[in-house]
Amino acid sequence: MKVTLRTDVLTNNNKAADFNRELFQNSKTLVINLMSSPGAGKTTLLEETVRELSGNYRIAVIEGDLATERDADRIRAMGAKAVQINTHGGCHLDARMVAAALAEFDLDEIDLLFIENVGNLVCPSGYDLGQHHKVAVLSVPEGNDKIPKYPQMFMRTELVLLNKIDLLPYLDFNVGEAKKDLTEINPQSMLIPVSARTQEGLYEWFAWIEGAYLKCVQQ
Amino acid sequence: MHEMSLMGDILQLVHEDAAAKGIGRIEKVEIIVGEISNAMPDALRMAFAIFREQNPDLFSEAAELVIHLEEAKAECVLCGRQYKPDQKIALCPSCQIPSGKVITGETFQVLSYEGSNRQ
Ligand SMILES: Nc1nc2c(ncn2[C@@H]2O[C@H](COP(=O)(O)OP(=O)(O)OP(=O)(O)O)[C@@H](O)[C@H]2O)c(=O)[nH]1
Ligand SMILES: [Mg+2]
Ligand SMILES: [Zn+2]
Repeated sequence: MKVTLRTDVLTNNNKAADFNRELFQNSKTLVINLMSSPGAGKTTLLEETVRELSGNYRIAVIEGDLATERDADRIRAMGAKAVQINTHGGCHLDARMVAAALAEFDLDEIDLLFIENVGNLVCPSGYDLGQHHKVAVLSVPEGNDKIPKYPQMFMRTELVLLNKIDLLPYLDFNVGEAKKDLTEINPQSMLIPVSARTQEGLYEWFAWIEGAYLKCVQQ
Repeated sequence: MHEMSLMGDILQLVHEDAAAKGIGRIEKVEIIVGEISNAMPDALRMAFAIFREQNPDLFSEAAELVIHLEEAKAECVLCGRQYKPDQKIALCPSCQIPSGKVITGETFQVLSYEGSNRQ
């Protein structure tokens, strides 16, 4: 007996993502899914973001890593609430893991929720977590070829934070070329050059977050 | 990549449906994999073989996985040209500007399955 299904393989993930999305909408929490290869600077950027914005916003972070509580501890040290998800070998976060972590928060008490995905430039891009925005972090030492080599990540994100620009004088990274490569994959995507180390450019990222938050609460 | 977990998702969808319809062991699973869907056909085949071997009660010995590849295609919103998107997904080869939109190649679906009727 043959049965036709024509069902998306990620149906169950998408159901959990819709569930999360409804929670975020009801509580007016802006949710940003941060993705990058390992070490691009996601946690450092979040530390700076918490430092800058926690006076005006109630911030929480979900940290996705294969193992350890290290990243969550770094966020807690900055004074924000953080829940660590350990994927034990899993190369990405899925919407179910996020739904389980949400049980640890009172979303009504949170304005901004950042989800730091597992460091990986391939797998996380395919999983809807219910977030409002997908943001990629690319760092200068990774080289110019990463945008064209991983088009499936950059076609699905709407903002790229180009981090570690304090290292530009020492490396052959070309910012203009990165912008051009990004436009040829995803003309809607923005790119903001920043340094979490020297703070350069971070004000533009903070302004982007504030704009996104206003849009989120007005909906 | 995570083809083992993707195959787990595929087989969960199949087994849930089969259980509801009273269908016994699975003989064939057909899926559609888009060229830019993030899933690799060879790794999916390997994952299927592992699941089949580990669950002889759920699959017939000769159970097969059929993969229908969906070609990636983009279309320029300005000139209408269809082209195969490579690295520069949005770049129309005629207009030389990023005016292309992906129209196929992202599908990742369970198309159908076949199983024996339970006695
Ligand atoms: N020079 C420089 N170093 C940076 C910058 N941002 C982060 N780093 C360093 O880069 C290293 C990795 O930073 P993390 O923030 O841990 O990177 P991550 O993306 O969270 O890494 P994973 O969670 O392991 O994927 C650390 O040693 C940071 O101090 C920057 O703007 N400039
Ligand atoms: Mg980190
Ligand atoms: Zn064209």
